[in-house]
Amino acid sequence: MSARSVLRVALVILLLLLVQSTVMLSIDLGGSHPDIVWLLPITAALLAGPVTGALVGFWAGLAFDLVLPTPFGLGALVGCLVGFSVGAAVVALDARAVWLRPVAAIIGGVAADMLFSVLGAIFGQQQMVQIDFFSLFVVVAVASVVLVLPVDRLMRWALITDGKRRTLVSAHTNDSGIW
Amino acid sequence: MLVVLSLSIISLDLNGRTHSITSGVKSVANSVYSPLRQAVVDVTSPIGDFFAGAVHYGALQKENQRLQATIGTLRQQQGEKGFENTQLRNLMALESLPFVNSLPTITAQTIELHSSNFTMTITIDKGRADGVEVGMPIVGAGGLVGQVLQSFHHTSVVQLIADGQSKVAVTFGNAYTGTVDGQGPVASMTADLVLPHTPLHKGEKMFTSSLDAGAFPPGIPVGRVTSFHASAGASQETITVSPAANLNQLAYVDVVLWEPAA
Repeated sequence: MSARSVLRVALVILLLLLVQSTVMLSIDLGGSHPDIVWLLPITAALLAGPVTGALVGFWAGLAFDLVLPTPFGLGALVGCLVGFSVGAAVVALDARAVWLRPVAAIIGGVAADMLFSVLGAIFGQQQMVQIDFFSLFVVVAVASVVLVLPVDRLMRWALITDGKRRTLVSAHTNDSGIW
Repeated sequence: MLVVLSLSIISLDLNGRTHSITSGVKSVANSVYSPLRQAVVDVTSPIGDFFAGAVHYGALQKENQRLQATIGTLRQQQGEKGFENTQLRNLMALESLPFVNSLPTITAQTIELHSSNFTMTITIDKGRADGVEVGMPIVGAGGLVGQVLQSFHHTSVVQLIADGQSKVAVTFGNAYTGTVDGQGPVASMTADLVLPHTPLHKGEKMFTSSLDAGAFPPGIPVGRVTSFHASAGASQETITVSPAANLNQLAYVDVVLWEPAA
C-alpha cells in the first residue's frame, strides 16, 4: 500500500463530498438530488477489484455519514458492500469494455441508495422508505451515467501512478482476509 | 471485517449510552468541514444564482411584487393584533403557561436544505455556541417548522415536522388532543389518536400542546385539517393535516430557546 495512493484517495473522497454537499444538494428534481458518493467505491472496484472497492467504499461512506443525519456507520456499511459487490460482479468481464462503467454506475448507484434506505428502515429509521423511489432512482441513474467518467479519471489518478495499478491492500491480502 | 466494523459503529450510534461518542465525532468533523463547505458554496452559489436569475427573471419580478403586497398586509395585521396579543400574553402569564411570543428566540439562516434524500431535515447556521440545544422547537413561515435533531458547535440539524420520524402532540377545538405525525415527502401529515366523531371541520387549526412530556411549548400553530373521516369500526378518526408553516420557504427560521422537559 502506497502512502501516496492513500493520500490521493482521501483527497478524492473529500472533493466528492464537497461536490455532493454543495452542488448536488442544490439540484432538486422531483424532490430528489443525485448521490454521487457511491461512484467512489464503484470506480475503485472497477479499477482495482473488490477489496479496494470495499475499502474505498467504507471510508467514503464513513465520510458521507459525517454530514448526514442518518445513523452513523450506515453509509460505511453500504459503501463497502457496494464496492465489494461491484468488484466481484465484474471480475470475469473485460474491464476495457465501453459499456461497463455506465452500466456499473447505474446499477451500483441505484442499488446503493436502495440498500441505504432499506438498511436504515431496519435500523429503526422508518422515514427512510417513505420517499419517492422512482424519482430518486431516475435522478441517481442519470447523474451516475453523466459523472462516472470524471470520477473514474479521479480514481485512476488516485490508484494508478506511473502507469502502475495500485490497490489499497498489500499483494498477499486476499478477499477472505479482509472480510 | 469492514462489515463488522460498520455494524459496530451503527450499534454505538443507536445505543443511547454510547451515542455521545459518535455525536462527538460528528460534531468535531462538522466544525472542520463546515468552513470548507461554506467556502465552496460562496464560490459556486453566485454562479448558480446568476443563471437562475437570468432564466427566471419574469417570475422573480412577479414574486417580488407579491411579497411586497404580503408584507403590507402583514404590517396591517400586526398593528391590529397588537392589542389582542398584549391581552393574551397577560392571560398566559396569569396562568403561568409558556407562550412562544414570550419565549426568547434567535433567528437562524438555513444553510442546507434536505441534506439527504432519505430524511426531511435542514441545517441552520446556529449551534451550541449560540445556545441551541437538541430538542428546541423551530418556528417560522407561519408556524412550527420542526425540532433540533443534532446540535454542533456552530450549526444544527433540524428535523422538519413532515419528516417520517416526527411526532407532535397537538390540541384543537374545545381542548381535544391528538398527535400530528409526519409521513415523509410523498404523503400528507396525519393526525392520530383522535377519537371517532370528534367535532372537526376542514381548516381546523391545530396547536402544540404540553401533553407529550412537554416536548414543545403550547400554542404554536402546527397545521390545518385538510380532510377527515371515520371508517366504520375504526378506533380513531382518519385525518390529514397540512403544515401551518410553509416548509418550502425556510431561508430564515427562529429557534425558540426552550428546552423540552427531561
